[in-house]
Amino acid sequence: MAAAGSPDVFLVAVSGQIESGQFPGFDDLYCKFCFVYGQDWVPTAGLEEGISQITSKSDAANSTLVWNFPIDITFKSTNPSGWPQIVVSVYGPDFFGNDVVRGYGAVHVPIMPGRHMRTIPMFVPESTSRLQKFTSWFTGRRPEFTDPRVVAQGEGREVTRVRSQGFVTISFNVVTKDMKKLGYEVTPSDMQNHSLVSVTEGIHNY
Amino acid sequence: MAELHVIGQIVGASGFDESSLFCKWDIHAGSAWKLLAGRREGQTQVDDPQADDVAYWCHPIDVHFATKGLQGWPRLHLQVWHRDAFGRSALAGYGFCAVPARAGWHGVACGTWRPRGGPRQRLARRLLGGGPQLRRPGPALGAAERFRLRTEAAGTVHLQLAVLPRHFARYGVQS
Repeated sequence: MAAAGSPDVFLVAVSGQIESGQFPGFDDLYCKFCFVYGQDWVPTAGLEEGISQITSKSDAANSTLVWNFPIDITFKSTNPSGWPQIVVSVYGPDFFGNDVVRGYGAVHVPIMPGRHMRTIPMFVPESTSRLQKFTSWFTGRRPEFTDPRVVAQGEGREVTRVRSQGFVTISFNVVTKDMKKLGYEVTPSDMQNHSLVSVTEGIHNY
Repeated sequence: MAELHVIGQIVGASGFDESSLFCKWDIHAGSAWKLLAGRREGQTQVDDPQADDVAYWCHPIDVHFATKGLQGWPRLHLQVWHRDAFGRSALAGYGFCAVPARAGWHGVACGTWRPRGGPRQRLARRLLGGGPQLRRPGPALGAAERFRLRTEAAGTVHLQLAVLPRHFARYGVQS
């Protein structure tokens, strides 16, 4: 077996859940997720895509939409470049009952093994011209991305205008195998992020 | 050769007076560093937040460097711009931050500044928008050409970067 000698692939096992969302002013939302990764990466087990139930706010949690939606996937790769990202998109009914998008967001799967929480800001694309704004208001069709994977890419972002309007909280449990044998310095993360607090405190300003 | 992966996001910016912000970024490294994969520069989306003053960009960064020397550890140059109601772009802040020299996941907050004009320019900026900007921001983001430049504080750019070194220990380098 290759694992006994010097391995040339490493494994990243990701489990966790899309815990909840904060979308002030919106209700009855569901979310989809998919993974976007580089060409050296291959998913070996688990689900690459998923779609959750429709959840509502309640008296128990009057500002949080709880999905509690599981994620479980294992990747193998020879190169950390193109590290997988999870892309989340949230949809819900508008005034007339049509499904419209309420937010797109993406975040890298944590690199360090361990348990990690990530709060990702969610945004929707905006029309750039006033005429389009009017027609989308009139017809009730909001601008959407034809493929949500574009939010995981750095190319072509400069032409996009967005409005951020919510947050999704995801918890990850990451286990890696053979990264140290390949020479990567992976230490369990000993410091939780402090800067994140200041970035996501916008939740409370609503 | 030792290798360095930097994987993360330019999350957003807070504390700017303006809304509809976007960010132009590029990664600078010394001559011993070679970019093997990933984009060295880019520009984020324009975010007009609905209800608070934090702009979110969620712009992914995924670069892979190989290096023969430690001089010129990679760093990010950031330029925050804002788009006004007439579609004009004006400078909101310059800043730089080094890639953290420690394996692991880091939240980085980068304070920014912008050139401060004279009283008339400041009044014009307040009334009409616009304002002074550097003709060549590259050198001024380093240490060489800051002398006698008058600046004022702008907002903060937030980044989340995971740093993954490879084979540094083989060459006796501690990070």
